[in-house]
Amino acid sequence: MNDLYLIYKNMTRKPLRLFLTCFAIFIAFLIFGAVTSLKSALNSGVELSADNRLVVFNRINFTKSLPIAYYQKVAAVTGVKDVTHLNWFGGYYQEPAKQIVSMAVEPESYLRVYGEVIIPETQKQAWFNNRQGALVGEKLAEMYGWKIGDRIPVSSNIFTHKDGGYTWEFIVSGIFKGNTEQYDTRHMLFHYQYFMETQTFGGDWIGWMALTTDDPSLNEKVAKVIDDTFANSQNETDTSTEEAFNKAFIEQIGNIGLIIFSVVFTAFFTILVVVGNTMALSIRERTGEIAVLKTLGFSSTRIFRMVLSESMLIALIGGLSGLAAAWFLVEVGKTFLAQFLPSLILDGNVALQALVFMLLLGLVTGLLPAFNALRVNIATAFNRQ
Amino acid sequence: MGSLIAQIVSVTLMNLGSLRRRLWMSLAMVLASAVVVAILLAFLAMAKGFEETMRGAGSSQIAILMREGSSTELNSVILQDQVNLIGASAGVARGTDGPLISPELYVIVDGIKKSSGTEANIPLRGLNTAGMDMRTNMRLVEGRLFTPGTNELVVGAGVLREFDGFEIGRAVRFGKNLWTVVGVFATEGNIFESELWADINIIQSHYNRGNSYQSIRVKLENDGDLGPLQKTLEREPRLNLEIQTERDYFASQGKQLQYIAIFGWIVSAIMALGALAGALNTMYTSVADRAREIATLRALGFSSFSAFCGTVAEAMVLAVAGGLLGSLAAFVFFDGLNTSTLGGSFTQVVFSFEMSPELFLQGAILALVIGFISGFFPAWRAARMPVIVAFRHGA
Repeated sequence: MNDLYLIYKNMTRKPLRLFLTCFAIFIAFLIFGAVTSLKSALNSGVELSADNRLVVFNRINFTKSLPIAYYQKVAAVTGVKDVTHLNWFGGYYQEPAKQIVSMAVEPESYLRVYGEVIIPETQKQAWFNNRQGALVGEKLAEMYGWKIGDRIPVSSNIFTHKDGGYTWEFIVSGIFKGNTEQYDTRHMLFHYQYFMETQTFGGDWIGWMALTTDDPSLNEKVAKVIDDTFANSQNETDTSTEEAFNKAFIEQIGNIGLIIFSVVFTAFFTILVVVGNTMALSIRERTGEIAVLKTLGFSSTRIFRMVLSESMLIALIGGLSGLAAAWFLVEVGKTFLAQFLPSLILDGNVALQALVFMLLLGLVTGLLPAFNALRVNIATAFNRQ
Repeated sequence: MGSLIAQIVSVTLMNLGSLRRRLWMSLAMVLASAVVVAILLAFLAMAKGFEETMRGAGSSQIAILMREGSSTELNSVILQDQVNLIGASAGVARGTDGPLISPELYVIVDGIKKSSGTEANIPLRGLNTAGMDMRTNMRLVEGRLFTPGTNELVVGAGVLREFDGFEIGRAVRFGKNLWTVVGVFATEGNIFESELWADINIIQSHYNRGNSYQSIRVKLENDGDLGPLQKTLEREPRLNLEIQTERDYFASQGKQLQYIAIFGWIVSAIMALGALAGALNTMYTSVADRAREIATLRALGFSSFSAFCGTVAEAMVLAVAGGLLGSLAAFVFFDGLNTSTLGGSFTQVVFSFEMSPELFLQGAILALVIGFISGFFPAWRAARMPVIVAFRHGA
């Protein structure tokens, strides 16, 4: 008799129990996969930030703008490689609910500072040469079916157009991709000059600046020089690394996220404990049988291996199918949550973590009863029955 | 009949008495039901706390006007002439000093969160005395109101709870401007408690807003009746404004967090399924363990039904114990937990988790259901199994 056959027979002797056990593990890992992906999607802005990129905001708050004169002053600071400025446009397409992350930028410097943006050279030149032109992210273009050359009306929920109304017309000059899959391409960029000339208020103000330094080690020094330059002016600045800024922003969403995640993880582990307990007990139940196997001359290591394989197998069947379902869920969720969580993805990291937990579950639930069973004296085991 | 009840009682007592022998099994069952109940209660408490915060904020007696297309106050711009036109419109309630209308403007400032020590957005709202009077549930907890024309501000109780450095008498610096905190106000826990209030004219001048505003709040002549104002808006081309009652406005602002609550519901429902499978499994194993005992009882003359009831009762007792444990954990960790999150206008909404008696009731019901389901099927099987078979295969 083959070991595998024995393991199979042992596992399936109580189909209902096997099903319930696998199902509980399935659910636990389904939630684990989905929630962990969600969590890393929330943090992706932090992970993807370039380590030599700084952002300069108004000290009062990031929603307050800065005078454009600051731009040249920052560009002159030593250690600053490239600097660009951005204005939040508050754009939406057709109806206020369809918001678009849209920014008025200084085109050439923007592409230098944000090296993640990948765009064919011809489209790039076309954008530079057309002041009404806009660069649209791949995913955004896909969402609304925009193609190069399309004229698209985008409204602003903040600014008004000189010609009346809140709607600007842009021409799609290019469609950009990101250099990694996680890079969010759900935004659009257009010329600051065009924006300035066509809006009714806002003057020569820029929303914020983004700059790269010659070397990450210069970050702190550069930030200090910039903030010192504008200290005691009407508009003091606050310069931080992009990473620190993104982190702070996520923290604003706050404890809520933390609370949800801790509740879910507690639940995840408790389910594992409960299931692990049943799995361990079901093996302990068979102490007598193991004694029989021993009597028949099965070596201890062979029995040990069989018991452990069984619990590993159960943990993996439940866990892997749960992980697969989580992957499926995330893929579906991607399309629905795209607006809030563009970089939702169940990546290798999450899968690896889940795998480690599965192995641990199998190991812990198999090892203890297996040890107990092995230690047991054959005669006592028969007596117990 | 009497003997049947006596049988059930004695089987139940016997089962409960022997629980200690099946310690790990019983603990697993308790744990499974505790988890389900605790998750559910945590999410319900969060949803409830947030709902309270949003609900109290909106009044149907007050209309709020913002620029067309701007979904939140932050994005809207309104000019002085428009304020005057609205003030003169029909449908606006009038007091002794003229129309009850409050043009408001707010800027976002940074505060340091106590919980994380990081910066977070707080709205600093400029408004006039009519605006404060309109918020009828507002009361001063401490100190006094700001004096118009000075750099004084009053702070919402929620801000004081969640953020550092807003105690009465403290000087607060935003950019170049120094403000003095002179009072603390409460608005029955609603969203306004997450704000700072100061004089509208001072905010306009400190933040170079000229004579512009972001929203106009209007006390309506007739509760909920937007008709006359709506007509003014249609007739007057200079008024590119949208009007809604304050209640509707906050209801739509609350949507974002409702998504989190819905997400919580889904997660806890799915988790509950997993835990239920665990509980069922435990009960099956536990009953299978005792097949011979149950068969013995039946051979002694106890009816199948009483054996069935005894097992179900045991499962329910364990589940309820778990439910109590779960509720207790939820209560200890979550009740009154102050928290804040990013609301609809990019600013912090401060609220606290709320565990009400009705939530406990829901938790208890859930625990009973879990106990019943996880006891029913194994008990059914045990009770139906022929006595002989049980003796032969029981062990």
